[in-house]
This record gives sequence, C-alpha cells and structure tokens, in this order.
Amino acid sequence: MTLKGGTSGACSACKYQRRRCATDCPLAPYFPAEQPKIFQNVHSLFGVRSIIKILENLDEAQKPEAMKSIIFQSYVRDRNPIHGCLGITQQLQYMIWLAEEELKMINSQLQIHRNNTNTWQYHHNAHNQMSHEIGEKLEDVTSQLNLGVGLMVNNNQNNTIPFFSPLPVFERQPQQPQMSYTYSSSEINNNCYSSPVYTDSCKEILTTNNNNVDASLAWGQNRFPYHHNNGFSNQNEHCNETKSNNGVTAIQSQLVNHQMVSNQQDEVDDVEYDEIHQFLEIIDDKQSFPDTKLTYASSSGESLKERTDETGESELRSAATCFSLTSVN
Amino acid sequence: MSSSYSNYTNSPCAACKFLRRKCTSDCVFAPYFPPEEPKKFANVHRIFGASNVSKILQEVEPHQREDAVNSLAYEAEARLRDPVYGCVGAISVLQRQVLGLQSELEETNADIMRYASCLGGETTSVYGARRG
Repeated sequence: MTLKGGTSGACSACKYQRRRCATDCPLAPYFPAEQPKIFQNVHSLFGVRSIIKILENLDEAQKPEAMKSIIFQSYVRDRNPIHGCLGITQQLQYMIWLAEEELKMINSQLQIHRNNTNTWQYHHNAHNQMSHEIGEKLEDVTSQLNLGVGLMVNNNQNNTIPFFSPLPVFERQPQQPQMSYTYSSSEINNNCYSSPVYTDSCKEILTTNNNNVDASLAWGQNRFPYHHNNGFSNQNEHCNETKSNNGVTAIQSQLVNHQMVSNQQDEVDDVEYDEIHQFLEIIDDKQSFPDTKLTYASSSGESLKERTDETGESELRSAATCFSLTSVN
Repeated sequence: MSSSYSNYTNSPCAACKFLRRKCTSDCVFAPYFPPEEPKKFANVHRIFGASNVSKILQEVEPHQREDAVNSLAYEAEARLRDPVYGCVGAISVLQRQVLGLQSELEETNADIMRYASCLGGETTSVYGARRG
C-alpha cells in the first residue's frame, strides 16, 4: 500500500517528478511506488498533463478503466516503439483473416461431402427400393446391392434422421460488439482451444517473435496499403475496419520492419506487468466504452471449385488432418 | 518527399504551424506532418505532446518513423473518440472475434472428423461388398 505524504511514501508519479505526493494525488492509486517502470512508460508516451486532462473529464467509475488502458497502451508502446497498439490490432486482424479463410475452406469441403452423401443416399435409396420390389417378387433372388445395402437399409430404416446431420451452411455472423466486454481468463481456458496464440494473444504477440510476424507483415503490406491522402482511410476492399462509435478507422500502414522482440531483460517488467495482459480479458461492461462496430469486408475470395469426382475416404481424412486446428505460429 | 522541401521554401509543416515556430530544414516533424493535415498533428499533440512524439521519432530509425507517426496518429484519434479505452477497446473486440472463430473452427473440424469416420464405415460396407 502506498503511503501518501512525504517523499518516502510518494507514488511513483510524484517520485519521478520529485514532488510531494499529496493525499489527494490523482495518480497515486494507479502508480504504486514499487512499480516505477509503469509510470515511466506512461510518462514517455502520454505525459502527466495529458493523463490528468484525460482523467478530469471522466467519471470516478471510469477512471480506473481509463488508466488501465493507458498503462497497457504505454506498455505496448515501450515494447514496440514503432507500431504500438496498432501492431497488435493488425496482428489480430491477420489472425482473424486466417481463421476465416480456414473456416471457408472447411465448410466448402463439408458442403461437397454433404452433397456427395446426399447423392449417394438418393441413389442408394433408389436401388434399395428397386431391390426391395424385386425381392418381393423373386424371394430367392439376392443382389449384391442388397448385401452391401442391407447394412445401410437397416441403418436407414432404423434411423429416422440421416446418420450425419446436415450442417447448416456456415454464414459468418458479423459480430456486433457490445458496449464492452467482460470475460475472464478461465472462460478462455475452459474452451478446448489450447493454442497459446489465441488464448493469450496479446501477451504472446508481445513476447514472441515468430514467423507469423513476418507473415502478417507481408500480408499487411499487400492488403492494407496506407493511403496518405486521407491520412486515416483505407481504400482496400478487403480491409478490416475497426470503428469506434464515431468511426475511427484503423490505419493499415505498410509495415517495413515489424519487430516484436522478446526481451529477456524484461523479466522484471513482466512481473510488474503481470496483470496487464489480463486487462484485455476484463473490460467492464458497464463502462463508457461506446459501440465499436467491427465491420468486415471479407474477401469474396476464391471459391473452391466443386469437385465433381467423388471424394474417397482417404481424401476426407487427409482433409480433416489438413484443416485441423492450426495455431498461427 | 516534397514536404521536406516545402518546409524550407514554402509553408511550414503542420507541427510548426501549430506550435507557431519556424519550420527549419531539419524539422523532425516536417516529413510526417504535412501542412495539408493539420488535424493529424493537433490530435497527436493533444494526447501525447510534441516533445514525447519528438523523442519517439528520434528513438526509431528514419525509415520506421512514418509507421511510428501513423500509429501514434491512430492511437491519438482513438483516444480522443473514446477517452476511456482508446484503441485498446478495438483490441478487445478483435480478441473476442479471434476466440469466437477458434471455437467455430473446433466445432467444424469435429464435424468433419465425424463425417469422415461415419462415411468411412459405410463405404467399407458398401464398396467392400461390391468389390467383394
């Protein structure tokens, strides 16, 4: 607990500025003395005056959330002085694009197989009908079809629903972001999904320098040219726009060198920022976060050509393996 | 860039205009804050301050400064529009989307595996009999 009053009990903000920490110091609750790096980052990016100005215009309930976001933003900027939070935004958008493409492919495959199954079942039922009629007339006649079909006949007759419930065609529901989001890390962990990239995506992005960074770089360069004319607009039809209630458009710049350096020396900082990466997991619903519309102009993309040839089992299996959950690493 | 010449011969950059100072040939802001975009610098100055921006620009390589300025401009505008969460709100939204898509992928993959195993059993019985 930070003791106020006197330099020995001053918050890190007042310590940095070498002034007396008053009992009503507005920054003291957010910058404990034992974590000076937090304030240093904030000071480097925002400055004291700017933070105080921001806090002055907020309600008491909003101030802690605002400070958390400011601290996080400063932390990210410290880790990545070039791109800051925009870099994280772009990487997340890249991940979303990858996942959507994968979903499209899988659903196309499913649709093909579903169509093949329906066709096969139709013909199978027709054969079954025929053989049944024949069987009624010629009791001692058995066809090869019956032999194989028998299993299916039984199955089919016993099943009032097809053995494979048709899946609804995947339609991506555009997410309508709520005012703000509240979800805990336990909620994430309880999902079967285990890829570290997604469960704790921001921290992973911040601490991992991997091939995916280069991939998202190249992807961003090709798909999101930065237009200087308007400054903030992106005319690429495939761009993912991140809009606040008042229409802030994410800038998609041509990333020349996007480095997410894993700093081993930041182990101390990581301890200090242990709670920061969880900040994103908990954003209070009741705060003032305005509607953020996230619109996608997902690429019409290349539609898979429907294969006319029947897909054998091996192909199904290989497709399933191919499209198994991939972590974007 | 034409703006690097313009600050010397023609109009000052948006930063120097805003700060009401002489725009010299070595002005660090001039290449990135052209006079046609006064709001860009105004936003950045309001949130981060000119001295902080200058320090950040000096810390990065010259070829990275444009990206740095663009990201700062984006964050400044986001903070002005949403003083509580700024650009971090957008990150939260995107994270949610990522999680949603991942669970959807899981389900779809499970379905395709089910399909494969069911179809594999049937085709064995049917095609095996035919070929047998």
